[in-house]
Amino acid sequence: MKRSKRIEALDQRAVNKDGFIDEWPEMGFVAMSSPYDPKPSIIVENGVITELDGKKRADFDFLDQFIADYAIRIDRAEASMAIPSLEIARKIVDIQTSRKEILEIVSGITPAKMVEVINYLNVVEMMMGMQKMRARKVPGNQAHITNLKDDPVQIAADAAEGALRGFSEEETTMGVARYAPFSAMALLIGSQVGRPGVLTQCSAEEATELELGIRGLTTYAETLSVYGTEKVFIDGDDTPYSKAFLNSAYASRGLKVRFTSGAGSEVLMGSSERKSMLYLECRCLYVTKGAGSQGIQNGSVSCIGVAAGVPAGIREVMGENLVAALLGLECASSNDQSFSNSDMRRTARTMLQFMPGTDFIFSGYAAEPNYDNMFAGSNFDAEDFDDYNVMQRDMQVDGGLRPVTEEDVIRVRREAGKAVQAVFKYLGLTEVTDEQVEAVTYAHGSKDTLKRDVASDLMAADDMMKRGITGIDVVKALAESGYTKLAESILNMLKQRVIGDYMHTAAILDENFQVMSGVNTPNDYMGPGTGYRVTGKRWEEIKAIPHRIDVNEF
Amino acid sequence: MEVNEQLIKAITKAVVEQLQRGGAQPTTTSSSGPQSLAGKTRMRPKRSYEGAVRAKQGTDPKEVVIGVGAAFQTEITKTIGGIPLDEVLRNVKAGIEEEGMVSRVVKVLDTSDVGFMALQAAKLSGSGIGIGIQSKGTTVIHQKDLYPLTNLELFPQAPLMDLETYRKIGRNAAKYVKGEKVTPIECTNDPMVRAKFQVKAALMHIIETEQLDPDKGMIVWEGAK
Repeated sequence: MKRSKRIEALDQRAVNKDGFIDEWPEMGFVAMSSPYDPKPSIIVENGVITELDGKKRADFDFLDQFIADYAIRIDRAEASMAIPSLEIARKIVDIQTSRKEILEIVSGITPAKMVEVINYLNVVEMMMGMQKMRARKVPGNQAHITNLKDDPVQIAADAAEGALRGFSEEETTMGVARYAPFSAMALLIGSQVGRPGVLTQCSAEEATELELGIRGLTTYAETLSVYGTEKVFIDGDDTPYSKAFLNSAYASRGLKVRFTSGAGSEVLMGSSERKSMLYLECRCLYVTKGAGSQGIQNGSVSCIGVAAGVPAGIREVMGENLVAALLGLECASSNDQSFSNSDMRRTARTMLQFMPGTDFIFSGYAAEPNYDNMFAGSNFDAEDFDDYNVMQRDMQVDGGLRPVTEEDVIRVRREAGKAVQAVFKYLGLTEVTDEQVEAVTYAHGSKDTLKRDVASDLMAADDMMKRGITGIDVVKALAESGYTKLAESILNMLKQRVIGDYMHTAAILDENFQVMSGVNTPNDYMGPGTGYRVTGKRWEEIKAIPHRIDVNEF
Repeated sequence: MEVNEQLIKAITKAVVEQLQRGGAQPTTTSSSGPQSLAGKTRMRPKRSYEGAVRAKQGTDPKEVVIGVGAAFQTEITKTIGGIPLDEVLRNVKAGIEEEGMVSRVVKVLDTSDVGFMALQAAKLSGSGIGIGIQSKGTTVIHQKDLYPLTNLELFPQAPLMDLETYRKIGRNAAKYVKGEKVTPIECTNDPMVRAKFQVKAALMHIIETEQLDPDKGMIVWEGAK
């Protein structure tokens, strides 16, 4: 066939490098609704749910049982289930109906009913729903802080810059898992240099992650993964009950925790039980709520390549974010994983959370160039900072970030590097040279930094764990190395777990370590003239992007 | 290690060409509308492992057990990056032998999760060190006394793998057996790997998972006959 030059040009477009697949419900490649999804139903006998979404109690799998016993308010169930799904969907969009009223109704509906409700909403209606149902009044943002070399000095510098740029939470992970103690410690130090009060976590194997948390080397946890089918849960060596137990282990030490789930994981692991991604994700979110978690990271997350491959996949992603908010959970709404070669497509996907605002629009945003992002690439990275700031300014939307000056970036990066150098020296860990700190200060990514002795680092990191080094040792090391203010900030972060207020839904801390959560600063949106508006000091901050024409110098 | 970008590009190109020839990625929707897959319940027919020999617990302290996926060299013959699995296995074994250790290959039929495959291989291994390799190429080096979801080394981005890396994996596994101070193989990262490969990865994992035969456990594996 003689080829059309137009079609040839289109074939070369970035979007055509993405992976697309037809709906295939038998294998779970279906976003919003599968012919095999159950129909909503509930029967309550003597205060016990004996039928859930068409299944008798005797036939429950462990997710059904967990959901029936812990995630649905039995006193509300019959009344809520009697309200037509279409009416609930309309209430979600209706500005006259308060968030509180909707939380009350939704607390009594089943996962299959939730799927029905969400299927009535188009993406704009979902965004309107999120604008009202988000837990915290002011939206927030989270960063990924990682690099290809697992270089702790770069982690500290990027964490400092990220905190300066406005992220309320920062998450790290490793290429080499055994670097975890160094990564967690460097992130903790760097974050507090950039802006006191930023929360930090280290995504690692669960037992390691818990130990780092208990030791005070992290200040929250996020990677408690739940799945929508029993088979995938078991493959992960887990049950809803073991996750609830792990959740309470963190709670016992006063640490903020959220769970993680998202569309496509069951498909990717080959056990979707022919159900839609939305239905399976609803099950995950009910398990999360039942386990007593205050929040969730969801929105397909690391399986976004699968969700985005099927029709209405991106609508489903926003739908599942909304389900989290409807259940009263803090929602860290993904946008954290690259899924498209097309700049246009990846931006469009993020607008669904950016415009209405979520508790954390990204979970997280790569605050390093994507080649250094060890979550295999985020949807936005450090090279998109200015685009993002301009989008906030264009639309007068608070996306959680702010413009910064080059001088401030260099200053906080250097201070973070120096502080890590001092702590490593005080604790007798591997050497951090002045040259390394200098390279990291001015670096964009790990291509600009010096090589570290990996084998020695790993031995020192093992040793650090064996010696029982904790957050308090970091405070001591900083205080005795002359970093008094920084030491105080980290001590203040450790105090949070004694106070416990930041375990409330959607909590973040301001620069004075004051909690802002869905409890003390709840979202009160009810249409125009209500809720959070970008005004005053914050609006001035957003306006001040670099590269404005200076009229006086023109 | 330097990532050999040219090789990756060449392999990617070859895979894409192959897929286009095979018609696996229709360029128009008219030829395969929605629902065209409805009713299809498998990717490949189930292979019988009747008469397969169950792999024995190892006693040789110099041994590294390589646990390969259920579809390895049978339903799937190339990694997601297009490298023949025969070559993958040959290089991992060669790496182990270069360090003076001994390799043994088993096929894991009770799980397709690479972490658990590797851990089971490690537990079977006389040295306590094992390697898990999924048919799409994802690889883990594991040690018998570690938590399942942790590892000694993990290579999560299968499309970036090359034969030299597989050889180094063999060498490093052998060095862990010898108790040497091991420098992990340098990480590679392609932030667009998910966009390009995740749907294909899901399909390959379905092919692997539907071949599981949990009652058979781990079997002696000498390649497809």
